[in-house]
Amino acid sequence: MISRVNYPIWSITSWLIALALMAPVAVMVFSGLTANSDTLTHLWQTVLPHYVVNTLLLALYVVVLVILFGVPTAAIVSLTNLKTRNVLRWALLLPLAMPAYVIAYLYTDLFDYAGPIQRQLRALFSWQSPNDYWFFDLRTLTGAAVMIALVLFPYVYMLVRTAFEHQDPQLIKAGKSLGLSDKQCFLRISLPLARPAIAVSASLVLMETLADFATVQYFAVNTLTTAVYDTWLEYGELSTANAIASLLMIMVLLSVAAEYRARAHQRHQLSASKEPLTMIILTPIQQIIGNIYCWLLVLAGFIFPFVLLLDMTIQYLDSTEFEQLIQAGMNSLKVSIYAATIASILALFLVLYRRLSGVKRSEVPLLLSGYGYAIPGTVLAMALLATFGPLDHWINDLAVWLNLSKPGLVLSGSLFAVIFALITRFSAIANGTITSGITKIPQSLDIAPESLGVGKLHTVLKVHLPLLKSSFIVAWLLVFVEAMKELPAVLVLRPFNFDTLSTQVYQMISDERLEQGAIGALFIVLFGLLPIIVLNKKEKIH
Amino acid sequence: MFKTLLTKFTLLTCAIIPLSFAYAADEVNVYSYRQANLVKPLFDVFTKQTGIKVNVVFAKNGMAERLAREGEHSPADILLTTDISRLVELQDKQLLQPVKSIVLETHVPAHLQSSDDTWFALTTRVRNIYSAKRLGNISINYEDLSDPKWQGRVCTRSGKHPYTVALVSSMIAEHGEVKTLEWLKGFKANLARKPQGNDRGQVQAIHQNLCDLSLGNSYYFGKILTNPEQKVWADEVNINFPNQGNRGAHINISGVAMAKYAPNRAHALALMEFLISEKAQQLYAETNMEYPVREGVPLSQLVASWGAFKADNLSLVTIAKHHKNAIKLIDQAKFDL
Amino acid sequence: MSDILTINQLSVSLQKNTILADINLSLTSGEILGLVGPSGCGKTTLLNTIAGFNQLNSGSIIIDKLCINNTNPVPAEKRNVGVIFQDYALFPHLTVWQNIAFGLSKETKEEQKLRIEKLLILLGLMPQAQKFPHQLSGGQQQRVAIARSLAVRPKILLLDEPFSNIDARLRNGLMIELRHLLKSLNISAIFVTHNKDEVFSFADKIALMHHGKIIQAGTPREVFDHPNCWQVADFLQIGSWLPVNVREKQVSTVLGDFTVEDLILNNGEHFVLLVKPQYISLIPGNANSVVKHISFTEHGYHYLLSSIDSSDPLAFEDLSFYSQSLLSLEQEVRLQLIPHSYQLFAHQTHSFST
Repeated sequence: MISRVNYPIWSITSWLIALALMAPVAVMVFSGLTANSDTLTHLWQTVLPHYVVNTLLLALYVVVLVILFGVPTAAIVSLTNLKTRNVLRWALLLPLAMPAYVIAYLYTDLFDYAGPIQRQLRALFSWQSPNDYWFFDLRTLTGAAVMIALVLFPYVYMLVRTAFEHQDPQLIKAGKSLGLSDKQCFLRISLPLARPAIAVSASLVLMETLADFATVQYFAVNTLTTAVYDTWLEYGELSTANAIASLLMIMVLLSVAAEYRARAHQRHQLSASKEPLTMIILTPIQQIIGNIYCWLLVLAGFIFPFVLLLDMTIQYLDSTEFEQLIQAGMNSLKVSIYAATIASILALFLVLYRRLSGVKRSEVPLLLSGYGYAIPGTVLAMALLATFGPLDHWINDLAVWLNLSKPGLVLSGSLFAVIFALITRFSAIANGTITSGITKIPQSLDIAPESLGVGKLHTVLKVHLPLLKSSFIVAWLLVFVEAMKELPAVLVLRPFNFDTLSTQVYQMISDERLEQGAIGALFIVLFGLLPIIVLNKKEKIH
Repeated sequence: MFKTLLTKFTLLTCAIIPLSFAYAADEVNVYSYRQANLVKPLFDVFTKQTGIKVNVVFAKNGMAERLAREGEHSPADILLTTDISRLVELQDKQLLQPVKSIVLETHVPAHLQSSDDTWFALTTRVRNIYSAKRLGNISINYEDLSDPKWQGRVCTRSGKHPYTVALVSSMIAEHGEVKTLEWLKGFKANLARKPQGNDRGQVQAIHQNLCDLSLGNSYYFGKILTNPEQKVWADEVNINFPNQGNRGAHINISGVAMAKYAPNRAHALALMEFLISEKAQQLYAETNMEYPVREGVPLSQLVASWGAFKADNLSLVTIAKHHKNAIKLIDQAKFDL
Repeated sequence: MSDILTINQLSVSLQKNTILADINLSLTSGEILGLVGPSGCGKTTLLNTIAGFNQLNSGSIIIDKLCINNTNPVPAEKRNVGVIFQDYALFPHLTVWQNIAFGLSKETKEEQKLRIEKLLILLGLMPQAQKFPHQLSGGQQQRVAIARSLAVRPKILLLDEPFSNIDARLRNGLMIELRHLLKSLNISAIFVTHNKDEVFSFADKIALMHHGKIIQAGTPREVFDHPNCWQVADFLQIGSWLPVNVREKQVSTVLGDFTVEDLILNNGEHFVLLVKPQYISLIPGNANSVVKHISFTEHGYHYLLSSIDSSDPLAFEDLSFYSQSLLSLEQEVRLQLIPHSYQLFAHQTHSFST
């Protein structure tokens, strides 16, 4: 048996981090246990079944769509000789930079009955009323699913593409030698082998979807998230809201766990591929179709909304209050940098603990710390207030007892709460990225340095950290961008006079005047491009 | 290499900010449900007049919870809300403190302030019914929205919006729950599209001939008319004061209250009294197209042009009392689905 | 017996580098060919080209009347050629049974079941049928790979270093087992290896490749007894090399002189003599060699010797020699060539390592 790290401090710290990140989740669930059953009954008898169905449908549609968008594009880019694949490789990541609520607003504006497209059509065909013609209604469940899928599919694309690229090319050859065509090889070998990647990325998307509020609200689609907000804000029952949110989270975790179990017996060894994959050669018609499919997604998910934003920005440049904008931008940077840095360092810590301790339970802190991802931001914010509020009271009581001046709400009333919320929310992303980085480090490297007389801690510093550098940077950037986009948690928890780009943009959107917030949205998008540039660069080096 | 990278990150992040803010003495802290662009100009004038800085957090949701959690350590002095039920909710949760002020007592009409002096209305707004110009001048009641003759010709925003909920509460007060539910179901059946958007969107929809009627707030209509791009929509639309032949149009308020543990009471009081001052009330009227509560403050020219109207004199407290039942009925009618 | 595989003047270039040039090869049904050669000589490319994973540039491959050339590049899946990969390339997401069933889609369920069961029994995999590849030992994995290939009844089986991942102790047994299996099913096979011992115990025929060409092909015996150039002898480690000086028909070496009759001399060519260990004897007299290395083998002591006088232009190094008598390190002895049919090879460079 290989000797393993056994630093009690490391293990205790890991558990403490996990518990801290878990605390709001636990508070939410416990609060949910005291829910008023009358309200739940009333909701169940009236709207809740509908919300549940909507939620399931939305989740289903989004997952199906992101798979439809993400997997074929990943396959086309990694397995075929498509002409523009070198550009598409990174272009397909661009939609990641676009917040769903912005794209939702832009497209609704465009395709609404009152929007320019339908206006033009009516003018062209002299239709008078909506009864004269049929036009798709974007403000529907399907519309919301499409909007969310358009900006989230790059997660699937990114992970599945990597999976395809790391597949052992010999498996495909084996398939061919057994008489399978390119298509059959793809369907029966490449695709099943990419299943873990598809599952993991789809579950990320699933959690993002269920936590989304701004988009579904804007689209007037009532989901369980709506129910959470309604019970809390309208019925004034936070604990019932927490109960529903807990149910929502449990649903997500169960589905993720079920998928994980289903493939638990399959061990997929990634081979460091020795030879390049043989490309599937496309016929000219397939070239055209492939290009159209991929580019349509890039166009719809990024280029088009980006141009619209740019256009609005230029139009309203005169009325832009730059001072406010810069302030909000700085604030966004502040909280995002903090959140990204801390979340990545914590993830590094937890991942290394799990890897080097080798005991089975060391996986638990890593798992626990990722639960926050499945909780809608505002619910999380409420849970945080419930967690830190009492702590703050104790701190103040203690200060009074010690005859010191009261420090005030140092935890729940400061940026600490905002940053903590962002970390809780996005730890899962950092954990996932760094975990996938560490699995690429051969296990033998954990012990090889010891044979050279180098201590464990030194090994971590000299071997693991340098090898994890690029995963760390990617994790940092992904959390950074998500934090830039995150809205509801920041909205409730922020201190006085504190606006971020996303709260500014959201306020404009909820007032149906995105035009004037376009420049803020543009900045969010531009910051969102950073990780894509870095991801692309990183690949080129390899 | 990695270590230096980490160090850089840490230095960068530490350099950017201290985490918590320190507040100086000449300040007053506001938790606002009202949007920044609506109240910011008012605060600017206040600061200019008094030298007291106004710190604000804007959020539509969660302010009451935040206040409750913060308890005696809350930095909040003033709460600004847009809906009567919000104020009553704060009052019920005992998050407010009574304010004894001759100024407020005198200038806020008695029926627009709470009996225990915890909250005061600053402006009123009417729940109007917008109608298409092509219908001509009509006289309409809220009750008519469920009339089958408007089948497929009615639009509205979400039934859960506080303005709609308050209207439903007033319907319950007038007709009882059973009839109100029937009304909601009829209203729902008449909708041209699922409840969505805000009041501006409804005006736009009427302009686009998607529907003929819609619920809408008076000040929204005013704001649309003063927006050069949106004015074209409003030009197709009339604003009507419902129920003029009977109980009168439903009104709601925007209000102000002082937090129970307000640390800067004197400044908070100053701000409250400022908000009822002629100057502030005039700003409300002019820039927000609201009805100021202070007597003698002129309406904006535009709002005045809509003429005088009869307001429902149902007590605000009654409306707030029915809030929860109203929500239940709206869910029962599956209004938003 | 008819040829199951014929390769005519095959050339392959990858990224503008010629990997294979003018390959000619044929294989009769049931015959096993061992393809040997140093790393990078093109063995794997030849396998890949036969299997259809590479395009060919010129020449043709005929697999059981199916002619593949530039104008008719039959895709891999249509060639009916089985491939066993070095690391077996088992599908990790499928069980043993599903792996074997993988290529069987045209057959009825009943036929599939019969065939898979037969293979499982034949290869002793029945208890493993429901396991996943990662639960199997290396030898079991190999047998699954073989079963999977055989299930689709290939015309030829290509094996890429099939024994390199197998425990040395088990290797011999497996080779014999596999040879019997292929022979009993009358399946032709080509396998690639680095290891000459594998060829000698597994193949009917050997082809030696060097720089993208087949430099000699024949039965192992033919090739071993009559290597046609020094690369063949060198790669197969048939013997050691002794520098020679040739004048007319007179050949002189440090270990003795002799004459040869049929040597054709080209100007500027250097020659070396291939000396198999059995053609060297230890005799009393003036020492000419010194013991540099001793190892013990099942054939007795194995010695490597060098000339005492390393400045001699004909000095040799690492001459391989077996003896039952024990010598000590650095002991100086006298060696002598035993007269036999001498094999001289032309060689361009002076240093050759084995």
